[in-house]
Amino acid sequence: MENSTQKFDAKVLSRISTLKMTAMNLVDGLLTGQHRSRHKGSSVEFAEYKDYSPGDEIRHIDWKVAGKTDKYHVKQFEQSTNLKCTVLLDTSGSMGYQSPLNGHSSKMEYASNLVAALSYLLLKQFDAVGLTMFNDQVVEHIPPRSKASHFQHILHGLAHISPQGTTGVADVLAGLAERLPRRSMLILVSDFFTQNQDLQKSLKLLCSRGLEVVLFHVLHPDEIHLPFEGDMVFESLEEDPTLGLDPQDIREEYQKAIQDHINSLKKDCNGLGVDYVFLDTSESLDQALSYYLLKRKSIIKL
Amino acid sequence: MSLNFSTPLFLFGLLGVSLPVLIHLLTRRQQKQIRFSAVYLLSQSKKRSIRKSRPNRLLLLLARCLAIALFSMALANPIFSFRQSEAFLSTSPSSIVFILDDSYSMGTRAKDKTLFDSALVYISETLKNFSDNSEFSMVLASSPARVEQDWTPDKSTFIGRLEEQVVSYRATHIGDAVGKAIKLLESAKQKNKQIFLLTDMDKNGWKEETFFGVTTPYPIQLLNFSQLQSDSNKGMVKSIKISQEFLTRSRLLRVKAEIKNFSSTVNRMPLSLFLEGKLMKEEFLDIPPRQSLIQEFSYPLRRNQPLNGKIQISDDALPADNSRYFPFHPSQNIQVLVVDGDPEAISHQSESFYLERALNPFSVSLSHIDPTISTLAELSLRNLSDFSVVILANVRELPSGYELELEKFVLNGGALLLGMGDQVDPKYFNERLGNLLPVRLESQYQVKEGALHLLLKNSTHPVMQVFSPKALEEMRRINFYSMYTVQAREDKKFKVGTWFSNQHPAVIESEVGKGIVVMFLSSLDRDWNDFPIQPTYLPWVQRWTQYAARGLDNIPQQDLLVGEPFRKNTLDSRWIVRSPDGNLHKLENEVFNDTFQPGVYRLFSLPSTDTAEPNLLAKLPQGAQPVGTFTVNIDTRESEPGKISQKEIENLLEGMKLEFLEPQIQSTQPNTSEGIPLATPFLLMVAGMLLIEGWMVRKE
Repeated sequence: MENSTQKFDAKVLSRISTLKMTAMNLVDGLLTGQHRSRHKGSSVEFAEYKDYSPGDEIRHIDWKVAGKTDKYHVKQFEQSTNLKCTVLLDTSGSMGYQSPLNGHSSKMEYASNLVAALSYLLLKQFDAVGLTMFNDQVVEHIPPRSKASHFQHILHGLAHISPQGTTGVADVLAGLAERLPRRSMLILVSDFFTQNQDLQKSLKLLCSRGLEVVLFHVLHPDEIHLPFEGDMVFESLEEDPTLGLDPQDIREEYQKAIQDHINSLKKDCNGLGVDYVFLDTSESLDQALSYYLLKRKSIIKL
Repeated sequence: MSLNFSTPLFLFGLLGVSLPVLIHLLTRRQQKQIRFSAVYLLSQSKKRSIRKSRPNRLLLLLARCLAIALFSMALANPIFSFRQSEAFLSTSPSSIVFILDDSYSMGTRAKDKTLFDSALVYISETLKNFSDNSEFSMVLASSPARVEQDWTPDKSTFIGRLEEQVVSYRATHIGDAVGKAIKLLESAKQKNKQIFLLTDMDKNGWKEETFFGVTTPYPIQLLNFSQLQSDSNKGMVKSIKISQEFLTRSRLLRVKAEIKNFSSTVNRMPLSLFLEGKLMKEEFLDIPPRQSLIQEFSYPLRRNQPLNGKIQISDDALPADNSRYFPFHPSQNIQVLVVDGDPEAISHQSESFYLERALNPFSVSLSHIDPTISTLAELSLRNLSDFSVVILANVRELPSGYELELEKFVLNGGALLLGMGDQVDPKYFNERLGNLLPVRLESQYQVKEGALHLLLKNSTHPVMQVFSPKALEEMRRINFYSMYTVQAREDKKFKVGTWFSNQHPAVIESEVGKGIVVMFLSSLDRDWNDFPIQPTYLPWVQRWTQYAARGLDNIPQQDLLVGEPFRKNTLDSRWIVRSPDGNLHKLENEVFNDTFQPGVYRLFSLPSTDTAEPNLLAKLPQGAQPVGTFTVNIDTRESEPGKISQKEIENLLEGMKLEFLEPQIQSTQPNTSEGIPLATPFLLMVAGMLLIEGWMVRKE
């Protein structure tokens, strides 16, 4: 256990703990905080009136307003609830990429730090956090809990990751969509190196089920810039056939292809109202997270 | 098709190709292996990328190598030819049998030389292309096929032997030659074995029965030289038939020559008759296409002598079949004049009765002896020059002055046979015929019945050789009652052919001038003996007549084909044969085999005193007498223009590895006029390669 905790940078965890993730909408649950849940319902705190429509409970009709205006209005209240967040971490082979050129941390290491930081943050706010690891199928599932000690379970899960297998995000998401609690939060951390084109469809399904989805797209700078020189033989970390070439010959094409990939993902996310965060492992994690959380805060304030 | 280089030294420049290859290998970057995440994206990018570095570098290397190779080849002055390449030539040591068709059809002209000459040149040139450890042998394919050169690794020896070869007058015998080549290959040292068959594909040489059992696992290269033939064989003298027609005082020689036209048009050709080397007659013939025509010549013979002749047509591509020789012996039958000295009204009592029937037992002359019976009174009507033999049977006295005529007849080569009897006057014979008779007749010697017989001690005389011991025994039992005793003349030489049991001569023979005189010292009828009624009388009389007329040494087979052996039918004397090229050969055995040259072969009898040992004589020995001639001609089947097809050969040599090639004389210095020079196109290609190389470098 000690070993696993040592993996996580204490500095990063402490800095993350100072940042508070604020919910975009109204906060569900009993714990009222900066998290706002978008879901409206009955609560002690009045929110607004709404025209009565058949199906609404009669006890929620504000008779005073009905007497004054001769119209039926139903009272609506803002609901403050505990947030349930499930972190989906891609543990496929491609996430295990370790650069031969520089000492940047591997994607898996970087992603693990990210997941730990987010979990710590959420648990500190008394939100329930769960962790699901997958490659082309679910490898391990830690259900969401809000207890502070749950952080240790998550760390334990992260300590035992060994990247392997092919990436099957779309299939895994499609499979999880039914099981994830409605109106919860889903954080998806992956490099999205998959040739499956059904990701958009799966995301759409999740959104339709009222899930708030955040995508963390983690890539190593080598994967973005292809900085290698000379004749190389590329062996796949997943199951693609081995390829021998001079990277110089295709660098331009590759960079264009990876940008297209990123842009396409970003575009899909924007279209679905999904938060997309691109993370380069060369950037420090705290800065990236701070930037994201600040960005979210600013959006909510708007 | 083939590509030759006139200055092949520059081909060493091809070694320069190794330079770019070396540079490429030295500058090749080390491949690094890396485990990467987005290989599928790399793969997609590679597919889309226009730049493909690795193939580019290889193409660059190829372009540089090609530029260097083409440049050195351009300097070597390449010459391209559509002719057959010498693909079969091997650089590894080989055992090669050359089957060379030296039949006379290979003597067909091809431009300035014959097909045979072309074949010789071809072999000489081909030898240069074989490695030094190769061995060679040569089989000549004319009949009979023979191994002319056994295995030799020495090319100069082989070429020397090759240069000795001349086209023969024989027919082809491919089957036998292939069989001999296969046998040779069995003793060959090298593993790589091949047969080269150089022939004009004349159909005559490919008889199916000759290929029975002929098979080999080794490849046979067939080179058809008939393709080189520039002119066609227009015609040939196919056959000659000789006949004679007797006129009153002379005879006519009739020569029927069959001439065949091989061309597809009417062929007008001169036809000449030569006798003893002199042109006698000439005719022009219009022979329809692909047909034969028989032309008859008549020539009056004034002398009663053998003749040799030749029929000749105009020259064409194949000279060997344009002439044909023939022998002519004016008389096949011996004309015999039997002078009956004691004719009787009852025929069987006549002196000549038994003699005539013995000489010619049938109405048709089967014995080749034509007897003419004459009484002394009729003798003046007879011309002795019409006869070869005169038999005087029991003649008392010849007409006055006739003895001189008889002497002249014998001196000129005639034969005189004498039979005794009661009419014979010894005084007349001894005085008037003293020049002819080698002995003096003394007196009649009479004995009791059973007291006198022939003493046939040994039968070495040519006349007696045909009699079996049984026949001789029969002859010994014949009773003689009377005979003439004789006494030798001192100045005359004579031989006793047969003796009586009382040690007196029975038959005496003597050469007088060119003729011969034979005396039988008893009667030729039944007056003095029982001989005429014995079965041995007939052959005895015929043999003596033929012997006297020198007809025992007749030549039974006078017109032979090339290669057919000449057989003589007598053992009594040694002969000399003078072949058409003038060489003299002793004929001591019965067979003369060296009949490989067409023409007239003359026979001479060798004098018994001559003891010259060598078989080949420098000149004719003194005293050698001409005894006859025979002619040798080519086998005209070889002249027929039919060629065997590739398919027919494949059927004949079924199961063998055959390759049909067109002969191509390959020279070490190729003639530019026979090919297309490629130096300029090669240089252009070099320029092209350099342009491509530059473009690729710039692109990179």
